[in-house]
Amino acid sequence: MGVGILASRAIRPASRLVRSQPSNLFLRTIVSKPELQSPEAAAVSQPEPPKNQILPPRNPVGGARVHFTNAEDAIEVFVDGYAVKVPKGFTVLQACEVAGVDIPRFCYHSRLSIAGNCRMCLVEVEKSPKPVASCAMPALPGMKIKTDTPIAKKAREGVMEFLLMNHPLDCPICDQGGECDLQDQSMAFGSDRGRFTEMKRSVVDKNLGPLVKTVMTRCIQCTRCVRFASEVAGVQDLGMLGRGSGEEIGTYVEKLMTSELSGNVIDICPVGALTSKPFAFKARNWELKGTETIDVSDAVGSNIRVDSRGPEVMRIIPRLNEDINEEWISDKTRFSYDGLKRQRLSDPMIRDSDGRFKAVSWRDALAVVGDIIHQVKPDEIVGIAGQLSDAESMMVLKDFVNRMGSDNVWCEGTAVGVDADLRYSYLMNSSISGLENADVFLLVGTQPRVEAAMVNARICKTVRASNAKVAYIGPPADFNYDCKHLGTGPDTLKEIAEGRHPFCSALKNAKNPAIIVGAGLFNRTDKDAILAAVESIAQANNVVRPDWNGLNYLLLYAAQAAALDLGLIQQSAKALESAKFVYLMGADDVDVDKIPKDAFVVYQGHHGDKAVYRANVILPASAFTEKEGTYENTEGFTQQTVPAVPTVGDARDDWKIVRALSEVSGVNLPYNSIEGVRSRIKSVAPNLVHTDEREPAAFGPSLKPECKETMSTTPFKPVVENFYMTNAITRASKIMAQCSAVLLKK
Amino acid sequence: MAAPFTLRKIGVPPNSANLTEARRRVFDFFRAACRSLPTVMDIYNLQDVVAPSQLRFAISAQIRNNAHVTDPKGMEELTDIVDHAKQRHHIIGQYVVGEGLVQNTGSKDQGKSDFLKNFYTSNYV
Repeated sequence: MGVGILASRAIRPASRLVRSQPSNLFLRTIVSKPELQSPEAAAVSQPEPPKNQILPPRNPVGGARVHFTNAEDAIEVFVDGYAVKVPKGFTVLQACEVAGVDIPRFCYHSRLSIAGNCRMCLVEVEKSPKPVASCAMPALPGMKIKTDTPIAKKAREGVMEFLLMNHPLDCPICDQGGECDLQDQSMAFGSDRGRFTEMKRSVVDKNLGPLVKTVMTRCIQCTRCVRFASEVAGVQDLGMLGRGSGEEIGTYVEKLMTSELSGNVIDICPVGALTSKPFAFKARNWELKGTETIDVSDAVGSNIRVDSRGPEVMRIIPRLNEDINEEWISDKTRFSYDGLKRQRLSDPMIRDSDGRFKAVSWRDALAVVGDIIHQVKPDEIVGIAGQLSDAESMMVLKDFVNRMGSDNVWCEGTAVGVDADLRYSYLMNSSISGLENADVFLLVGTQPRVEAAMVNARICKTVRASNAKVAYIGPPADFNYDCKHLGTGPDTLKEIAEGRHPFCSALKNAKNPAIIVGAGLFNRTDKDAILAAVESIAQANNVVRPDWNGLNYLLLYAAQAAALDLGLIQQSAKALESAKFVYLMGADDVDVDKIPKDAFVVYQGHHGDKAVYRANVILPASAFTEKEGTYENTEGFTQQTVPAVPTVGDARDDWKIVRALSEVSGVNLPYNSIEGVRSRIKSVAPNLVHTDEREPAAFGPSLKPECKETMSTTPFKPVVENFYMTNAITRASKIMAQCSAVLLKK
Repeated sequence: MAAPFTLRKIGVPPNSANLTEARRRVFDFFRAACRSLPTVMDIYNLQDVVAPSQLRFAISAQIRNNAHVTDPKGMEELTDIVDHAKQRHHIIGQYVVGEGLVQNTGSKDQGKSDFLKNFYTSNYV
């Protein structure tokens, strides 16, 4: 919570008291002045600031930009004498933020509805009989707002005193110490002594699950968690029970918080009432080094900050990114970090003749692989990139396999025949933040709640803000917003495409219809027919226009978009069955039974997950927190991870391993540094080099040839069975195992 | 056998008067070190690990390496070793030519590029 200009003024020592006689050490005459007796008297005695004084220019808090929806509707208010223009409908607190004044608050949050129950944001407004809750009061034209007068300061001290009355003395054992809003604001705005001499009340703790630790005695009843759960997460789990000093936040029934966004209440809670259970008592926030990086557990690419202490990742915190994940991250992103410590591959290993693995040096391991790769025919070489692979390593793998003479290199999740020629056919074309403008959603074969929780949060936000309608075709699934279940399979899709379904009218009348197709459909044999049907729906309902492109494809894995951009697609269906040399780069979802028994399998990855058991040679690689890699999310936004902790044991970066292997095999790749790899990527897919930029698809569906196939009648299957266990890191994580045992809906 | 050689603490001033003085002191130090070698081998049980000639070679190599600095440091080191203030693995690591060094001058290093050499050393070269 920022302290701002106002607080720095408060910390400056007051120099009003007259010093008594220095010789008299025991008796101190207490000198008082009328100004000190009451805030109103102090306000009266303050000298008027000279008129027409030139005030220094002010910037909005946090460098925020103000968006005027209607230029004529701007009103002018005066904050501490400084005139500022704000859009109509702004509250006094928002106007002060534009003026650069940070007002303390506990219950107000910019992304939640206004509650106005903490009273910490009180400011003085001229011509108002009492101080005003700035978070709730709309700013009227010509208002004169004063935030640093004695009345406002006295109000803050009073509110702070009340909040601390029933607050337990838990700072030494509270996890929020060091990053606690209550601590910061009481230091900046509170008085130095309290007058409470009675017994403090205490509240029984609630069990919210294995992720959120609750110490409800510390709760200050700001209701941020209640508003978050009902508005952003869409579940009505939490509520306020009781009245007055007996108020408690809880679930009333013995219910756990099963929402996939439940970890965000930990960030939202200003005090240590809701904290992270896995992180409890592990570290203080000043010991941790924060590294700003990207999450790879799904295709959204949420911005995170990895807090590490030495070589260990201690926790993961969201970072603000308005376009992708706002301020939230899903539970899988937040809590799967302890999987990075278990089952890690740290040394190269070769399988002995008795079937057991033996640790060897890099020289020996690469020499063995380099030997074997020359003994197989080029067509029998297969390279498969995993779901967590970065663009650099996929580029080097593709170059290496191609130079060995084979074309069989693809990424997990892309079945045979996926067309990567036109980018619109696998990206989220309206961008994640653009989904907010849609008013009708048609979800085809995708359950966004488990596939991409942030996209689901965005849909929930749109439904809540503008009452958008959502229709869904697929297996019965859970939605945290009102959703019409139209059907379970391609038949319903056909009906809509041919105009026979009642939902077609809703689609036609929509101003900005959005169709979201799940990437799980790419694995079906009748994929072409289904995608053609979707595109005909798009065409019939004007979904793809110059100003609005509502045809979206939701990818499942972090590596998929970059893989399709780089051209890692599966050309022939029989490639794996007739392979003699299989190079798995972190690929764990490959059906290991399909690999022939006499094939030589090399597994390069960071966890000993499923595919390792079939491997003949293991090459340890680094995980996403340990390497600098480029990832493209499902909307085409390129981002880079930053190494936060050092690699484990003798592991190397993925692209370096493939490059070293290529040199040992005699294939000379024309680059030997990461800049070289990136310039190679630039010639293949230049959008992957422009980090933090979104490259929209250039062409629309008009270029696609007609499809002659027919749809089968098999209903759509769910792609993600267990939300908490989808990749190697989450499968190795103990917290994720606890969650899937306790929190999954049976 | 001759009486065991005892190490007298020779207080060495940091700056010798002239070059000959310094040379004399260095040779004195080398003589003292070589004479204390049997004691050292006895203390740390290095009989089957290394031959005295190898240790002498190591000492002379160190003296040669540090030819440009004064040698009270060498005296201190020698005193520490004779006083059993060090341990076996220190002696073996510092003064016995190990196998790791031998492998570096191996046969495979000619055709390799810098990238590969750095790759084998560490991830962060």
